[in-house]
Amino acid sequence: MTQELSGGSSSGDSPRFAPAPVTFTGTGTEYFGIWIVNLLLTIVTLGIYASWAKVRRLQYFYRHTEVAGSTFDFHGNPVKIFIGRLIALAMLIAYNVSVRLHSLMTLVVVGAIAIIMPWLLRNSFRFRLYNSSWRGIRFHFRGAVGAAYRVFLLNGFLTMITLYLLAPFMHQRVKAYQHNNSWFGQTQCSFHARVGEFYKIYLLWLVGLLLFGTLVIFGGIGSTFVAISHAKESGAPPPNPMVILKMIGVLYGALILAAVLIGPVFHALITNLIWRNTRIGEHRIECKISPLGLVWIGISNLFLTVITLGLFMPWAMIRLIKFQLNAVTLVPASDMQEFLAAEPDKIGAVGEETATAFDFDISL
Amino acid sequence: MLTADFFDGHSTRVRKVALRIDGQTLSVSGENIEFQVPLGEVHVDERLGRAPRRLRFSDGAFCEVGDLDALDALLSSADHRDGWVDRTQRRARPVLVCLAAVVALAFAGYMWALPWAASVAAMKVPEVVGRQLSVATLRALDGPILLPSALPEARQQKLSDDFHNLNLPGSGHPQEVLLFRSSPQLGANAFTLPDGTIIILDELVKVVDDDQQILAAMCHELGHAHGRHGLRLLLQSSVLGTFLALYVGDFSSVLAVAPATLLHAKYSRKLEEQADSYAATVLRFNGMSPVLLAEALKKLAAAHQGKADMGYMSTHPAIDERVRHLYAEGR
Repeated sequence: MTQELSGGSSSGDSPRFAPAPVTFTGTGTEYFGIWIVNLLLTIVTLGIYASWAKVRRLQYFYRHTEVAGSTFDFHGNPVKIFIGRLIALAMLIAYNVSVRLHSLMTLVVVGAIAIIMPWLLRNSFRFRLYNSSWRGIRFHFRGAVGAAYRVFLLNGFLTMITLYLLAPFMHQRVKAYQHNNSWFGQTQCSFHARVGEFYKIYLLWLVGLLLFGTLVIFGGIGSTFVAISHAKESGAPPPNPMVILKMIGVLYGALILAAVLIGPVFHALITNLIWRNTRIGEHRIECKISPLGLVWIGISNLFLTVITLGLFMPWAMIRLIKFQLNAVTLVPASDMQEFLAAEPDKIGAVGEETATAFDFDISL
Repeated sequence: MLTADFFDGHSTRVRKVALRIDGQTLSVSGENIEFQVPLGEVHVDERLGRAPRRLRFSDGAFCEVGDLDALDALLSSADHRDGWVDRTQRRARPVLVCLAAVVALAFAGYMWALPWAASVAAMKVPEVVGRQLSVATLRALDGPILLPSALPEARQQKLSDDFHNLNLPGSGHPQEVLLFRSSPQLGANAFTLPDGTIIILDELVKVVDDDQQILAAMCHELGHAHGRHGLRLLLQSSVLGTFLALYVGDFSSVLAVAPATLLHAKYSRKLEEQADSYAATVLRFNGMSPVLLAEALKKLAAAHQGKADMGYMSTHPAIDERVRHLYAEGR
C-alpha cells in the first residue's frame, strides 16, 4: 500500500545524542473517569469485564508514557487475558480444594502447579512484551523454556532450602533472564547488574527491618506490660482478650508502617539498580528514583486512600507511576530513528501472537 | 487537513504527513508517501486522556495525531462515532453518575445481595460437605481447646432429652446431634458446627444453672443450625475477602485486612440476631418465654466480664441490646 521508500537515513549524525527523559503525561482526574466507568462495568458483569478494563488501563499508562517524542502502545487482546484469568482461577480452585482434603491429592496438585509455573511465567513475559511497542516496533521475549525452569524452579527450590539466603541471588538471575532475553525489534537488550549489588540492597533492607522490629517489640512489650498490670488490679483472670486484641492491632499497624516506610526504600534502590544496568543495544538507561520521595508518596497515598474509602486510588496510581517514570532517562548512543522491527521469519518461537496471557504481573 | 506522524511498522523512522478525508476515504500524503484508504478499513483508537490517537492500517503502519480536537472535528465530518464507553469516560456528569452507581451497588451488595446469595447457597451445599467440615473442625478442636465433659451422665442425658423433645413449629423434633465438652479457654459458651452438630460447654451449664434457661441457649444454637449459619458466614467472608482483595489489591494487599475484619463482624452480629429470633419462636411454641434466653445471656455476660463491652468490634452483638429485644418478644 505504501510506496517504496527512497533510501537515506535522516539527519542527526552528531557524535553525542541528547538524553531523552521519560515523561508521563497522564493525570489522576482523567484516569478517574476511566477507572470508575470500568469499575462499574466490571461489577455489573460480575467481573467478566475486568479483562477489558485491564487492557484499557494498560493502554492508558502506556500511551501516556513518552520518550523521544513518542509514546508506547499496548496491543493485548482482552479475550486472551480473560482466558488466562479463567485458567488461573481454575488452578486456584484446584489448589484450595486439594488443600482442604488433606490427602495425597494436595501433593499432586501443588506439584503440578509448581511444574507448570515456570512455563506460565515465560509465557506471560512473551505475551506482555510482544504486545508492547514503541513507534510501531514491537518488543519480544526470546528466553528459552529450559532456562525458565532453571531460573524459577531450581533457584526457587535452592532459595527455600537455604532459608531465603539465596533470595538476592535468585532475584538477579530472574532479572538477567528477563532482560537479557528481551528484544526491541532487532535490537537485543542486556543486563549488567551483579549478584553482589543485589545482596547489598537486601542487606540494607534486612537491617532496616530489624531496627524497625526491635522498636515494635519494645513498644509492644511496653503496652502489654501496662495492660497486664491493669488486669491484675481489676482482678480479671488472664489472658484478657482485650490485651490480645490490642497486640494484634499493634502488630497490624506495625506491618502497615513497615510496608509504607521500608518497602519504598527497598523498591527504589532495587529498581534503580535494575534499570541503570539494563541496555537496549548500545543505548543506556538512567534511573534515579529518590527513596525518601517514594516513601512520602507512599504515606500520602495511603492516608488519602484510606480516608476516601479507596476512591483516591486512581490518583494514587498516577502519582506513583509519574514519580517513578520522571526519574528515568534514556541515553541514546545513536539516532532513535534507526531501530528496526524484527524480521517476520526470525520471530523466535512459534506463535508469539497466540501466547496466552497468564496475567502474572511480577513486580520489579 | 491535519498533520500527523507516519510510522510504517518496520522502523522507528518518523515521517510527517498530512491527513484529509473526502467522503469516506482517508488520504495520507507526505515525504515519499501518497495513498488513499477507505475509512472503514482504518482502525481508529479511542480517545484516551490526552494520549496521541492512532489511525491504524491493515499492514501494521499507522498515523499518530497529537491534536485531538482537530481529529475529533475531522472524524465527525465523516460521521465517525466514538464508542459509548469512550464517550462516557470523558464527561464529568456520566462519571459522577457512575461513581454514585458504584457506591450504591457496593452498599446494596454488602447489605443485601451477598447475605441473600450466601443463605441460598448454604442451603444448597450438599450434606457431605458440611459433615466433612464439621468432622475436620471437631478433630482440630478436640484436645487443644476441647476436653471431654465432666458433667455426670445423668445430667447430660436429661439435658439431651429435654432438647430432643422440643416441638418444632414445622412439626417434628430437633434431629441435630448434641455434644458435651469442657473448655477452660472458651469458658461458658456453646457453638454450632457447619453440619448442625451443637456443642455445649460444661462451664455454660454451670454458669446458667437453670435447666430451662440452658434449653433456651440450645434453642439459640438450633437457630444457627437450621439457618446453616456456619456455612453462610464462611461463604460471605470468603466472597467479601476476595472482593476487597481485588479492589485494594492492586494497591496494597495488607490494607484489605482491616476493612474485611470490620465488615465480617457486622455479618456475625446479624446472624446472632437471627438465631435469637428463631430461639424466641421455638420457646414460645413450647410454652416457654423468650425471657429465659435473656436471663441466660445476662448470666453469660456477667461471666465474661470485660468481653461484654467491646461493642462494635465484638462478634457477639452487645448483650444488652439482645436482652432488650428478647424481653420485648416475651411480652
